[in-house]
Amino acid sequence: MHNSWRPKPGDEIFRPRRIKRYRLRRILGVPALFSAGYGNVGSSIYYALGIVALVAMGATPIVLGIAGILFIFTALTYAEGTAMLPEAGGSSSFARHGFNDLAGFVAGWALMLSYIVTISISAYTIPPYLGYFWEGLKIDPIAGTATSMGIVIFLMVINVIGIKEASLINIGAAIIDITTQVSLVIIGFILLFNPTVLFHRIFDNWPTLDNLILGIALASIAYTGIETMSQMAEETRQPEKRVPKALIMMIVTVLVLFAGISLVSLSAMTPQELASEWARDPVAGIAASLPIALIRDVLKPLIAILAGTILLIATNAGIMGISRLAFSLGNHKLVPSALSRVHHRFKTPYISIIVFCAVALVILSPGLFAANVFKNMGALYAFGSLLAFMFAHASILSLRAKKPELPRPFKLSWNLRIKGYELPISAILGLVATTIIWIIILITQPYSRWVGIAWMAVGLIIYYLYRRKQHLPLTHAVKEQGDSISQ
Amino acid sequence: MEFHKILVPVSGTEADGEAMRLACRLAKKNKAKIWAVYVIAVKRSLPLDAEIESEIKKAEDILDHVESVAEEQDYEVETDLLQAREAGPSIVDEAVERGVDLILMGVTYKKHFGQFSLGNVVPYVLKNAPCRVILYHQPIA
Repeated sequence: MHNSWRPKPGDEIFRPRRIKRYRLRRILGVPALFSAGYGNVGSSIYYALGIVALVAMGATPIVLGIAGILFIFTALTYAEGTAMLPEAGGSSSFARHGFNDLAGFVAGWALMLSYIVTISISAYTIPPYLGYFWEGLKIDPIAGTATSMGIVIFLMVINVIGIKEASLINIGAAIIDITTQVSLVIIGFILLFNPTVLFHRIFDNWPTLDNLILGIALASIAYTGIETMSQMAEETRQPEKRVPKALIMMIVTVLVLFAGISLVSLSAMTPQELASEWARDPVAGIAASLPIALIRDVLKPLIAILAGTILLIATNAGIMGISRLAFSLGNHKLVPSALSRVHHRFKTPYISIIVFCAVALVILSPGLFAANVFKNMGALYAFGSLLAFMFAHASILSLRAKKPELPRPFKLSWNLRIKGYELPISAILGLVATTIIWIIILITQPYSRWVGIAWMAVGLIIYYLYRRKQHLPLTHAVKEQGDSISQ
Repeated sequence: MEFHKILVPVSGTEADGEAMRLACRLAKKNKAKIWAVYVIAVKRSLPLDAEIESEIKKAEDILDHVESVAEEQDYEVETDLLQAREAGPSIVDEAVERGVDLILMGVTYKKHFGQFSLGNVVPYVLKNAPCRVILYHQPIA
């Protein structure tokens, strides 16, 4: 007998209807929640550093820091929202409750765009890291992009089949990743850090104001993972306590690590090198710059394998996240039920997996022609995620006004009292900042402007046609029926 | 050995009926309570609370069958349907939550790559169960 048995991460239980009884059981703990979120956020530094350096140059650490503050505001908003509404859907769910179905759809559709770009960008940056073993993967755009596309197709297939994901691999990868990054930061500070050199590299390569603001927007890609944690809320007991704890743990870990990595990166190389030769594999660039050959020879292959693994997990997490989100939107009658259709044999939402992976492949395809796809992907991600975050902040404020009586197990403090309503300052600042940055992206970045607008337009057309066909109102909430999906 | 609470995980195999008959015989002595549970394993690309009609119908049919087997033994059994990412941990968690004395599982003869295999669920339950476990293994046909 094992009296000390404790459920492992990923051991979640849910009770659907049976004899008119219905009980939901959730067992994920804070460490497992943190691992799941960190798996997403921790992977993004492997490409975010390079994307941000492309525009922010010497101001990269400062821009990441400013984006980090916005990340804190957004994480706090998600903490209150998820504790209040512990269901899959993230900002889409907040918007649906805070406003109406149309808002829920817009937030969800924008989120889908950011998930798709996460899939593309994570897959796109695997080959450069693996270029340590074969240089062609890094320098040949066709070999590199084709490899990325192959990775997306491979993951699409295994997600359609539904291979079991070993939660221990995620936790193991998170532990090894944090350990390696901490080691890299410590070694980098000991061997490379020179305040004078760093100062000059930052301020002699200061970007224009436009590029500074664009850099802050692109830096939002470094902090993906908030949505993942929010979506995992349905799989944990006491989400009102565990999710905020896991989010706060993630904030602290990520900010400390990212600050360290970004300072070390500019100690290791010039902004020009970071923005060109090492743009797609900046962490490998740090390892390559270490002066001690023994450490360098150990870290270079380790980082190649680790980055490849972490980014593969992140790509897979993006695919799983978008299929869950699509299912959730379908359940609430925001998107056609075809996206919720489950394969009769594999029991996976195969249509949404295939459709969204196909879109990710389309976004990757310009890379075959050595086009400026990296920065464009970053800007497109910022378009989608900032829009979703705007809705998250706005929804929290709206819920404070419309439903002040709703239980808020994690209620943000530091509130402003406006017309009798308590409105959290972090959400107000978060809303203002994300809106301004989103508008700047819209104005200054033609690729993300037109692709983003086209994506939203297509989505709204689908929404309109679907709701009309179902004789559902466009804005009002549809009463939830707990419908099961059909095949 | 006395049992007051017995958990019978079922999976739709031929062994379920025999396992339930055995559970009823063991339960009669002390008028033990029996629960039969079926676990729907939900893939990670779906939310945990995704309701898959075909799986629920299959589960309901299986639980109806074991209920009728128990009825033949003139014994009452409670049934429940769970959804989880993996069956093993959910069975163990169910046993812990209900404080059962015994987990009784029916096992069919399975081969993986030519070798006899208990699968993933049975070894997990054997390793982590908080109580006694009886495996009812059918004879090879």
